[in-house]
Amino acid sequence: MKTLNKKNIIGILVASVGILLFLSISGCFVSEKVAAKGGAQLWAENCQRCHNMPSPSTFSPDQWETVGLHMQTRAQLTTPERDKIVEFLKQ
Amino acid sequence: MKSTFKILTMGLTTLMVTFLVETGFAQQAPTAQDTLMDRITALEQQAFIQKRGEDHFMLAGLTTFGLVTNKTVNTLGGVRTTTRTSSFGNADTYEFSPMLLWRHGDKFLMEFEPAFSNDGLGVNWADVSYFAAPGLIIRGGYMVIPFGLYNKRLAAGWIDKLATDPIGLDIPASADYGFEVMGGLPLGDMKWSYDVGVFNGMQLLPDGELQGAGITDNNINKTFSGRIAILPLSNSALELGVSALSGKVGDEGSAYTASRANMYAFDLNFIQPVKPFSVNIKGQYNIMNVDRANYVNPNDNTQSYSYNNHSTSGFGQISLRPAFLNNTLKNFELTYRYASSITPVMSAWGQNQTQSTMGLAYWINWRTVLKVSREIVNTNSTVNPAITPYTGISNSNSWYLQFSIQL
Repeated sequence: MKTLNKKNIIGILVASVGILLFLSISGCFVSEKVAAKGGAQLWAENCQRCHNMPSPSTFSPDQWETVGLHMQTRAQLTTPERDKIVEFLKQ
Repeated sequence: MKSTFKILTMGLTTLMVTFLVETGFAQQAPTAQDTLMDRITALEQQAFIQKRGEDHFMLAGLTTFGLVTNKTVNTLGGVRTTTRTSSFGNADTYEFSPMLLWRHGDKFLMEFEPAFSNDGLGVNWADVSYFAAPGLIIRGGYMVIPFGLYNKRLAAGWIDKLATDPIGLDIPASADYGFEVMGGLPLGDMKWSYDVGVFNGMQLLPDGELQGAGITDNNINKTFSGRIAILPLSNSALELGVSALSGKVGDEGSAYTASRANMYAFDLNFIQPVKPFSVNIKGQYNIMNVDRANYVNPNDNTQSYSYNNHSTSGFGQISLRPAFLNNTLKNFELTYRYASSITPVMSAWGQNQTQSTMGLAYWINWRTVLKVSREIVNTNSTVNPAITPYTGISNSNSWYLQFSIQL
């Protein structure tokens, strides 16, 4: 570890991001199984990794839109995940 | 004449009465069209009032409050000294942090969270995010740096299942000024995320310790920090993250200008139902290296000393919650966490520290929790006695009663 310098670290991370971006773009994207998931399922799967699942009645539809953006920056949700979860919570 | 006048009078009177009656009737009984128009006008006014604008303000936040009692036994040179404290609130058990979220359309989000705690009035973060494209968010300002899992995701009192934070995660500083790009992307059945940025970084102190440089950087170099995570299971139950940070930390123009800090972190977050329980395992391990340097002996300016500036810290945590029961027990969660922090031997702040914490949380609702935690911290001083006094071995035993809510 101690022999790694800044260039090594940046190189490793850039290479990792590049490989993963390539894999994402080169046809893998998202499987049918994952794409078919609804907002309720994504809400249950993603929220509870860090905290309890929020009640849809907690916020108004407008507030859920805002909270959705906030949580996307925290949990790095994919954009389709965020949209589906917010739509579910707005109901 | 009289009869003619009488007839005319009666006729005029009849016409006037007829006109008045018809006019009055028309005013009292509007047509269906009038009623409809009135209703449309009212709805238009109502719609105008409720029209959604592009801007949306929202006030959220959290508060955490509690009681901590502590007994610390210190052994130094064969002499034991005992101290006891009991307080409402300390850095870990009191915080009031309202959070302002300002959304402009669906592309911009400003977040500002001031915090009042034992440390006084401060700011947890103040940043603006631009949602440039799916999987790409650009953020600038004062923000939690992408390094490890705990500080960004788990530190809030209403999320943390225990009353305290794991030891040793305060370096690198949790928040800093800079820019970052981040996003989450699908990868078949899996998904992955990235979060990388440049920041002012940290400042090397005269004894080799690090602190956040603050808004005015202490050198012209910028610090790079990033985290990549992969969620290999299709149900997103497991997240594995790797982080790295690198940057010069010495003051510009000083003897330490070239000194660099390199840090790495590995983290894990896993949740799995084992009916009737929900099992949650979390962990993080940090490695911190600062280039070796000669530091001036504060007790004798003509002398210097040096040491291997290498630190490690980490924690592992498991929690069990009978979430699949249909009675009150499902609101309880039992958690155990072990943490360790080792700072450089023969430095001015060298110590080996372990922290063992057991806690029971009662979830009043999804964002409101009452916690009871018991914590034992053992500290063994490894300082350079020529630089700073040896403080011996101490055993700290604490009980926490804590309430936390997110609003």
